[in-house]
Amino acid sequence: MTEIGILNGFRVLSLEQVHVLPWGTAFLADFGAEVVRVESVDHMQDRRSGPFPDYKPSSEWWNEGGSIAYYGLRNKESLCLDVTDPLGKQTFLRLVKNSHIVTDNFRPGTMRRLGLDHESLVEVNPQIISLSCTAYGHTGPWRAAGSRARTADAACGLSNLTGYEDGPSYRASSNYMDHSGGNNNALALMLALWQLNKTGKGMRLDLTMQETGVMAIGPAILEAQRGIVRRRLGTSHLWKAPHNVYPCSGNDRWIAIAVSCDDEWEGLKAAMDHPHWADEARFKDTLGRWNNRHDLDGLISDWSSSRDNQSLMKLLQSHSVPSGAVLTAEDLSTNDHLMARGYLEVFNNPHAPWVGPRVYAARPFKIPGIDTSIRHIASLGEHNVKVLSEIGGLSAEEIQSLADKEIIADKPKDPENVPQDFVIRG
Amino acid sequence: MLGILNDVKIVEIGGGLSGSFCGKLLADQGADLLKIEKPGRGDQARYEPPFIGEDLSGAQSSLFLAFNTNKKGITLSLDTPSGRELFLRIIQDVDVIIESFPVGFLDSLGVGFAEINRINPRAILTSITYYGQTGPWKDYKGSELTTEAVGGFLHAVTGSEDKPPMGTALEQMEGITGGRNGAIATMAALFAQKQTGNGRHVDLSTVEATVSVPSGLIHPFTLTGKSPLRGGSDGNVMDGMHLPTKDGEVTLTTAGTGGRPMETWAEFLGEPELTNPKFSSRRGRLEHWKELHDLVAPKLAQWSNLDLMSATMEKGLVIGLVLSPEQVVNSPHLEARECFVEIHHPDVGNLKYAGPGFLVDGVNPMMGSQPAPRLGQHNDKIYCDQLGLSGQELGQLYASGVI
Repeated sequence: MTEIGILNGFRVLSLEQVHVLPWGTAFLADFGAEVVRVESVDHMQDRRSGPFPDYKPSSEWWNEGGSIAYYGLRNKESLCLDVTDPLGKQTFLRLVKNSHIVTDNFRPGTMRRLGLDHESLVEVNPQIISLSCTAYGHTGPWRAAGSRARTADAACGLSNLTGYEDGPSYRASSNYMDHSGGNNNALALMLALWQLNKTGKGMRLDLTMQETGVMAIGPAILEAQRGIVRRRLGTSHLWKAPHNVYPCSGNDRWIAIAVSCDDEWEGLKAAMDHPHWADEARFKDTLGRWNNRHDLDGLISDWSSSRDNQSLMKLLQSHSVPSGAVLTAEDLSTNDHLMARGYLEVFNNPHAPWVGPRVYAARPFKIPGIDTSIRHIASLGEHNVKVLSEIGGLSAEEIQSLADKEIIADKPKDPENVPQDFVIRG
Repeated sequence: MLGILNDVKIVEIGGGLSGSFCGKLLADQGADLLKIEKPGRGDQARYEPPFIGEDLSGAQSSLFLAFNTNKKGITLSLDTPSGRELFLRIIQDVDVIIESFPVGFLDSLGVGFAEINRINPRAILTSITYYGQTGPWKDYKGSELTTEAVGGFLHAVTGSEDKPPMGTALEQMEGITGGRNGAIATMAALFAQKQTGNGRHVDLSTVEATVSVPSGLIHPFTLTGKSPLRGGSDGNVMDGMHLPTKDGEVTLTTAGTGGRPMETWAEFLGEPELTNPKFSSRRGRLEHWKELHDLVAPKLAQWSNLDLMSATMEKGLVIGLVLSPEQVVNSPHLEARECFVEIHHPDVGNLKYAGPGFLVDGVNPMMGSQPAPRLGQHNDKIYCDQLGLSGQELGQLYASGVI
């Protein structure tokens, strides 16, 4: 099947930072839309945030990538434009005229202050789609509150449900809500483009991380209305047993086993070579196994703890037992199955040849004829001229004048201010 | 319903959670979605506790109710030739088929992508499995827990360093993350269908969807050679721990403090000892976390959730209230935004369901939604009204267990 860029011709202007929105618009860029990441030399934190290859930011650290190459810069164009300057704003609005989507993840009110809220955009382009991604939305009493992905994790109810069995609550993740919200940004924008194609009409999308999270705990939302309180179960299950993580040989090595029926239990018994305890009457059926699950977990742990988790996974799977080794980042980066599927892409960032080829994760789906691999990582301001002339229709003189006034740039204000890399726990 | 996808016709089959959530996301935007379940029991999700009412027989599972809004439901067994023939008639004019069977199952019955494509070249087949349609692990069995395990979530994302790996609740990886990626991929295939007229076979792996979620996994490793480890909230009083309030819990951050986190929080909480130099760095705060905890926790315990939120908001401080599902349902903020839509289900009555996470032109696009279908609820409508079967034929299908 011939390769097609399914969103070719759609133009997105994205005033984006941190994680949740860059991750969402990256899907559109992968699908062939022209996604212009509008960056500011005054806010370089995304390009400063690392991790830098081998912990060493180079003299051109702002073009190196780090994680943001994967979630924020991939397949996008970079326009480094100061939209807070009146001429910068005017220039931005010229781009809006020829674009389909404008996105931002500022706090509510910022776009209005900049004169770039939906109403202002509609004046120059009546068909415009705008998406504003915030923690709590543009309306309601909490609209002014700041957030991090993990505070959205808390405010949507997910943290409350997460924790070891009958222990205290934990955040589910420090950045799952960035990704979950980001996925939702991608979906919402594709829906909006579908609507635009069909009706010729734009729309204003007010997307929140909190509400994306609330939908993700949908069943608990229904339960709460009938007074049902979900207990925290860690890696245990409401009715399945054995269902847990079990220690394996090596340091901090584990395997997850999730038995849901008698057939799978028989498979597990066979994989364990039929220890006599496994035939005890109390483990005979699902209910018995669940009622005695703590004893059962202990007995299985005794068996698993001297075994290698990946070999064990193969053994258990050969007996059709749902099971999976608890993999680390290192395990994943070298995993044969993911390699064979092309899920791990080796990419050589042309803007940072000193970094050398590195492994990146691909999209979790394959669609024949639709290439979503990393084709390019934008350097700062790389597409200033292209975007301003092709989308904005600016002349060479106008572009030069913007550069002279430092309204556009392709270098940080202080390139010598090399970021201190953060340390990864591990 | 806003109905952005009201020109899209979908069939969902296979009973997997990821397939159900994927279908829900598209049905909630107006797609005409027909869910096919096994005769007799239907989806396993119908039997997953807890239940909304007293009936445990398959009508009131919160999981099924939440994941199947705005769908029509019929029963059909693919195990018989007449069942397969009906399936092929049903998919004759659809845009999308979402399936979550084990790899090769539809092919083995002669109703895989090749046959679907022959009958309806426009049809997209979105196949969602744990490990994908190819690769050495494609036939491996899985669950939400094993997806979180193999996908890297258990080892590094939540939980404590000195405790075993831990996951999160409510099918976040297989169901939510797999399902939403499925919806994105299906939308992509729909755009391709518009351009070329042809359907494609979408191959989605929920394990890969999990790996793609915490970007804090693969990329830190391939860039630095270090595998991240769980326990980010351990001893992290100012940036991750959950601390009790009068009526709940809160997690603090050092954001919005203008680079003076401890001075700002000392002033807000009225606890000058927080400015002690031993707490001034992140490392110092971790080292002396117990002491810090004992200074901060009693002060926070004097606040009620909503007052704390208002007061910190006013000062530009960033916190997260650790809300229980009940507090979420009763949140004045979410109420004001009309985040929830009320849906009446004949078996469980009126309940508020979460919206899609976004408002369109200020309105929840799920207003006017329909509840999850009862098992086989639309059999008459689909088989008789749409496919033109007679009452007698329908009776024969019931009798022979096809529907």
